[in-house]
Amino acid sequence: MFPTDVDILLVEDNKSDAMLTIRALKKNNLANNLVHLIDGAQALDFIFGKGEYEGRNIGNKPKVIFLDLKMPKVSGLEVLQVIKNDERTKLIPVVMMTSSKEEKDIVESHQLGVNSYVVKPVENETLSKIVAELGFYWLQVNNTPK
Amino acid sequence: MDVNKKIDELLIANKELTFQSGEKEKRAAELVIANKEVVFQNEEKEKRAAELIVANKELAFQNEEKEKRAAELLIANEELEKAKIHIAELNIGLEQKIVERTAQLEAVNKELESFSYSVSHDLRAPLRAINGFTQVLIEDYLDKLDDEGKAVMDEIIVNSKKMGQLIDNLLEFSHIGKLNVSLVDVAIGELLDAVIADLKPQEPDRKIKITLNELQNVKGDQNMLKQVFINLISNAFKYTGKKKEAVIEIGSYRENNWCTYYVKDNGAGFDMKYYDKLFGVFQRLHSTNEFEGTGVGLAIIHRISVSTVEKYGLKARSMRAPVFIFHCRHNQYVHQSI
Repeated sequence: MFPTDVDILLVEDNKSDAMLTIRALKKNNLANNLVHLIDGAQALDFIFGKGEYEGRNIGNKPKVIFLDLKMPKVSGLEVLQVIKNDERTKLIPVVMMTSSKEEKDIVESHQLGVNSYVVKPVENETLSKIVAELGFYWLQVNNTPK
Repeated sequence: MDVNKKIDELLIANKELTFQSGEKEKRAAELVIANKEVVFQNEEKEKRAAELIVANKELAFQNEEKEKRAAELLIANEELEKAKIHIAELNIGLEQKIVERTAQLEAVNKELESFSYSVSHDLRAPLRAINGFTQVLIEDYLDKLDDEGKAVMDEIIVNSKKMGQLIDNLLEFSHIGKLNVSLVDVAIGELLDAVIADLKPQEPDRKIKITLNELQNVKGDQNMLKQVFINLISNAFKYTGKKKEAVIEIGSYRENNWCTYYVKDNGAGFDMKYYDKLFGVFQRLHSTNEFEGTGVGLAIIHRISVSTVEKYGLKARSMRAPVFIFHCRHNQYVHQSI
């Protein structure tokens, strides 16, 4: 019923950004096990097996979460805070992906324990490259505890 | 015998009488003198009494004056007290006003902050979509486009990039005002070496001659001074772009407590008619076809200037040779006013 192997959990409310991100990952064969959620509340339900994801085995952790910072309802920062404060989920790598270069956001994300903070550029060529590199790094280069 | 005796006695008595009357006359004379003395002393006493009366009158007058003064002082004191109370009331009012105004300013500042935050986030996202999906068209549907279609795609890409640049510059501009100023001794020579070392490699194919003249050190905010020089020097690079050899001269001189720094170049220059527009945001005196740019560089200098550098400006001997200058107070580098 629920996907068991999740490589990338993409939490992104902006449809265009999501399409472009998924496209860049697909082009590099990195989107085979990708789940796309559209806000922070849905992301927390998924990660902790609640709400519409009631019954999902939360032991099936994504290899990485690409998290948008500014989202309706529950923001990326709030999601990050919950994940990093829970023993069950704190080791999941979280990459904050945002348009915001605000020092405040960068500092706060790192204080909450983000694993990487990436500013999405306006130019798609650069964006595609960054997304592909991120996918490649977190799925194939990096090792996280099982 | 008896007669003789009597005569003798009479004679003696006579002598005695004569003597006594002499004594009396002496006494009388003495009395006359004493009388005169008494009269004189009486006169003196009367004079003194008259004088005392005058003095008394004077005293009474002075007493009256003093009482008048005292009454006046009392009134003045009362007025002073009233004025004091009034001032205290005014002060309280002022303090309240300051508190209110500060709160207002803080609110406006917060609003501005959230505005620039929104600009940063919300304006970029749709732009990324425009740029991204155009790129998708170019990558995946190029064979279905004719030459004009391809040219249109390129234009969309170029313009979205430019819009992105504008947003970045605008944010940079709005951040300047929020920076805290910290004053240190700045070695301008070293600062310039670093700035030039950063900027020069960006123009690898150009012949650029930079002369550094005497450079005064100054007390100032390192980052802001650096930003001012970066903007002035990259402008000099940019506007000499059409010269065979760019000649840039940087230096400073000291007048009283002021250091003046100048950056001149042999570039395009501009028409002094438009001097007023030079330091405005998004104001440009050259078209993008002539020289690339968004019109934020000098506006940033202006922003920095009002907050830290005190004075800035431009001395143009002619429209062909603009010299950008700014002044810093040499010692006490104070003053932050926007």
